[in-house]
Amino acid sequence: MASSEALDNTTIPQPYKLKQTLTGHKRSISSVKFSDDGLLIATSSADKTARTWSTSDGSFLQEFSGHDQGISDLAFSSDARYLATASDDKTVRIWDVSTGVTVKTLTGHTNYVFCVNYNPQSNMIVSGSFDETVRVWDVKSGKCLKVLPAHSDPVTAVNFNRDGTLIVSSSYDGLCRIWDASTGHCMKTLIDDENPPVSFVKFSPNGKFILVGTLDSTLRLWNFSTGKFLKTYTGHSNSKYCISSAFSITNGKYIVSGSEDNCVYLWELQTRKIVQKLEGHTDAVIAVACHPTENMIASGALENDKTVKIWTQEVQKPEDRTDEMAKQ
Amino acid sequence: MNPIIDPLQGDFPEVIEEFLEHGIMKCISFNRRGTLLAAGCSDGSCVVWDFETRGIAKELRDKDCAAAITSVCWSRNGHNILISAADKSLTLWDVVKGEKIYRITLQQTPLQARLHPLESTLCLICPFSSAPITVDLRTETTTTLPISLSEKPAPTSKNKFSDGSAYTPTAACFNKYGDLVYVGNSVGEILIIDHKKNQVCGIVTISGGAVIKNIVFSRDGQFLLTNSSDRTIRIYENLLKQQDSHKLILDEILPNSENEVEMLKGAGTNCLSLFREFQDSITKVHWKAPCFSGDGEWVVGGSASKGEHKIYIWDRRAGNLVKILEGPKEALMDLVWHPVHPIVVSVSLTGLVYIWAKDYTENWSAFAPDFKELEENEEYVEREDEFDLMPETEKVKESETNEEDEVDITTVEKDSAFSDSEEELCFLPADPCPDPDVSGDKHTGRRDNSSPLSEDHNGYSNQVEGPENSGGEDTGGVTHLKRRRKPSEKVLEQQQAQKVQKSKASGKSLKPKSKFGNEQEEENDMNHFGDENGFDD
Repeated sequence: MASSEALDNTTIPQPYKLKQTLTGHKRSISSVKFSDDGLLIATSSADKTARTWSTSDGSFLQEFSGHDQGISDLAFSSDARYLATASDDKTVRIWDVSTGVTVKTLTGHTNYVFCVNYNPQSNMIVSGSFDETVRVWDVKSGKCLKVLPAHSDPVTAVNFNRDGTLIVSSSYDGLCRIWDASTGHCMKTLIDDENPPVSFVKFSPNGKFILVGTLDSTLRLWNFSTGKFLKTYTGHSNSKYCISSAFSITNGKYIVSGSEDNCVYLWELQTRKIVQKLEGHTDAVIAVACHPTENMIASGALENDKTVKIWTQEVQKPEDRTDEMAKQ
Repeated sequence: MNPIIDPLQGDFPEVIEEFLEHGIMKCISFNRRGTLLAAGCSDGSCVVWDFETRGIAKELRDKDCAAAITSVCWSRNGHNILISAADKSLTLWDVVKGEKIYRITLQQTPLQARLHPLESTLCLICPFSSAPITVDLRTETTTTLPISLSEKPAPTSKNKFSDGSAYTPTAACFNKYGDLVYVGNSVGEILIIDHKKNQVCGIVTISGGAVIKNIVFSRDGQFLLTNSSDRTIRIYENLLKQQDSHKLILDEILPNSENEVEMLKGAGTNCLSLFREFQDSITKVHWKAPCFSGDGEWVVGGSASKGEHKIYIWDRRAGNLVKILEGPKEALMDLVWHPVHPIVVSVSLTGLVYIWAKDYTENWSAFAPDFKELEENEEYVEREDEFDLMPETEKVKESETNEEDEVDITTVEKDSAFSDSEEELCFLPADPCPDPDVSGDKHTGRRDNSSPLSEDHNGYSNQVEGPENSGGEDTGGVTHLKRRRKPSEKVLEQQQAQKVQKSKASGKSLKPKSKFGNEQEEENDMNHFGDENGFDD
């Protein structure tokens, strides 16, 4: 069971508690994502498969096997009918979610494909690879529309903004770059005094800020137009793996991230204080995702653990709250 | 729209970026946001291109109609397309479902069909040889609009059919909110008509009285453009307040005026005022398909001369010619400017659609923020202590960002370019075409294809210039253009001055061999797989 430690005397009113543990993958989890309608969870693993689960009861729905090597990342299309997976076998595959069949294989990368994402219109897929490039693919035909000479080290994360006009990419070379999605031109490079390898990047829900995770155990929120960072979140441990983070906006604004000390960390967005640490995994938590509408967090961990845990916030009725207060 | 795009030197296209091929396309139209491009073909089908991926998103094919499409028009919310064809038919399609909603046969071939900006079933048709009509698609009623005032004798036109009977081509368009129709007749008069009452509310005469061939409003309804047979494009400023403009005009008309014509002319002067005239005084070329840019800052017109594909771009405010785009030696059929981007799309006689965009010059400062591009070598004088070793921290940290400030991550700014967003159709769902059943082994070891050059197959776009974005992998055979640096302001001013002097600056023309790729060694098999399955619908 999860304990909710309160640090700095700040707690979120209703702490997250473990609701369910999803087992089935045979090797470490690499990525966890919710579909846009919130009905499905998809998980990818080093065991070369991806799986979908139902959000409501955690039941296992479908397994997607076919990749020759482990899968590093996956993404749902906006209508949740297709799933894209990025694998060490240098390909990106598009799967039909309901049947589990590979619909398309996108080849072109010359090294492990590390990250993948759909654009909101879901007519394009962006992928980043160890071959230091970012590729934009046309979903319908499978053609590679653009190859961006993005970085000088493996690309660790790629993400579209909410209207699909910009792509952000991050890399071990310490840079985050913003690209115009329609022309492929580099718009901006974010660089600070020190540039530790960047392990993760994603746009904020309104597309104005980017959340950047670096391998010096720091998460930063940057305003990319001004090129300055606005918030720093620390306290977790991240120096080896590319751990994903997420924005939680369904009930208050929080940043959620995994950590190498086997916990899931929650920070309050504005005050930057840690409000909760979710314990329960037995290995580094490498992937987290937030449900689009409900107060639910999904987390996946590495080899020792191999499970995906679902955490939910119980909404307390006012009467219960006063009872609890009375007890204390 | 995008907060970090640098303001460009001139927001107009310069070179052919790509061309689209699918049968023989005749006329094109963007949807309101410019995400989809509808193209009417000579075989009666209409192809909807996804403009972002440059692939076909949908094909609207009517088995009853095999005649060439004469015009294509999107509805405001993007759900419907109005198509007029050479077999006198008018069809309204539901784009997502790919089904016909209404289909009407008219008396004459409609040359141009435009949907009312707000009412989804009312449209304005310019038939081949008679006055413009408004058609209500639901009730199938047609109303003929006046093309001249009743007192005046019927305008004798200089254009006659081969059998000697006269035909009066007229151009017409709705204003921004559709309450008025502006008709340009064959004696050089612009009639402002309240189409509900079928009454002329104002007249503006163009000096010279030449036949008006096209009449078009800018997207914001502030400016009106006329193209006359005296080879001049005229820009008028719309003086009427945007909404309820028809009521305003009727107030202007005094009930007891003596001469109705004078009264209407007076009303007309309150509606439009001549702003600019554009012509090519050297070659005296006729214009074809003129229109405004999305923001109304530029006016673009195609040369109507056969055998050349020239597009002229003028600055609306300053009134000067800024660019002439030259394409391959094929006559120009249709021309549109993208609603948002500095992109122009033109259709040539051969049925190809050319996409003109800005020439890509790499912005090196985007790659490293402390990069500053120099135009010429600069003498750098170092500081006294430039090379001294400083024991303490050399970099003075800027004032610590105040991390206490509130950050708003959820509020979305409205897009200023578009007024509202009702249930608008911006994209058609893209289903991946399934690969044929091939074992995965074939894909490994396949030579990388970084350029989407593909061989002859329907519906795929062809990249003209080599992909300037290809990264480390060099496919060879593809011409890689050296990344050009963005010229500094000084150089651009000089170039501008030179251009204006010569009044001719040709954009890059199509390399003859690049239509079907250069010596491409190996194709990515994926493209072929895509072909064999064709497209949905």
